Amino acid sequence: MILKKILSLGKKEAIAMEGINRHVTLLCDACWKFNTAAEGRNRNLMQTVIEMEREGDSIRREIISFIYRGAFLPYFRPNLCRFVEILDSVFDYLQDAAFNYLIAQLPESIETECNRVAYLNARMCEMLLIMLDALLNQADLREKKLAVRIYEKKIDDIKFSLIETVRKTPVADFWQGRVLADFIDHLTLISDGIEDASDYLEIISMSMRA
Amino acid sequence: MIVDEFMTSKIETIRADRSVYDALEKMVDKRIRYLLVEFEEKETDYGIITARDLVHKVLIKNLDPGEMKVSEVASKPIWCVEKGADLREAIALMAKHNIARAFICDKEKIIGVLSMQDVMAAVLVVRARGENDS
Repeated sequence: MILKKILSLGKKEAIAMEGINRHVTLLCDACWKFNTAAEGRNRNLMQTVIEMEREGDSIRREIISFIYRGAFLPYFRPNLCRFVEILDSVFDYLQDAAFNYLIAQLPESIETECNRVAYLNARMCEMLLIMLDALLNQADLREKKLAVRIYEKKIDDIKFSLIETVRKTPVADFWQGRVLADFIDHLTLISDGIEDASDYLEIISMSMRA
Repeated sequence: MIVDEFMTSKIETIRADRSVYDALEKMVDKRIRYLLVEFEEKETDYGIITARDLVHKVLIKNLDPGEMKVSEVASKPIWCVEKGADLREAIALMAKHNIARAFICDKEKIIGVLSMQDVMAAVLVVRARGENDS
């Protein structure tokens, strides 16, 4: 197996993969923190989610520099880098959602559903971590990929119902409406990003087996 | 895995004194297979009307849906599992009563519904997580 060779041959590859693993784990932690902060209405904890994005940024830079210092064959590099960039965009959505949460006045009518999305985002991110683990152990990704898609569909359904509810909710002024709309947007974009990342994991898996 | 993770929290309802035609219209319009029926007598008194009920009890018999009340066709009681219950508990309830959906309740309040489709999705996720043997 090429994958086995790739991971056993070089130190750089192992370090880069360890970095990717750390990146996904950090994203999971951030998603769970967001969920806990939203459920407990804990503004201080929500603030730490914003700070975790910076940590994610530095891990991303570390991984990409390792890859371009010669880890992996050149034809693997774009897909690995793309995967890391997608994870970074998920961190951005999470940060934006946390920021909007802190300044928005969340109506009670959508609070429960928003918390549900936050919970499902975290569960979906766990699934991505399981998928990465399966990739490193050369296991089949099919079932894991399907599970990610199921979570995404569930969140999409909630998103439409959230938009329907929030459309009927009066807001005080333009900015309150804008912040609320942005919050829902970013909160529900997280799952889109995780699904994209899982697509890339599958591409990476296929290219490594080729 | 808990039932809350895969339940659907958006539930369409209809009052028991409305006509079967209203129920038909709502279900076709919203492309759904059932409506939760609210009886006036008690706030927590619910029934269910499904597409199967409408076809078998009204349409096949050539009865006029405009002349019938939802209460004449709706089934009672509905079956609930508590919020936070294990998925297996909901599946067992559905199998025992041969029902296609179980409602998720927080004390007396209905907060969601778990359909066959939701159960299938949940089982696939449980498998993917490697939790199926627990």
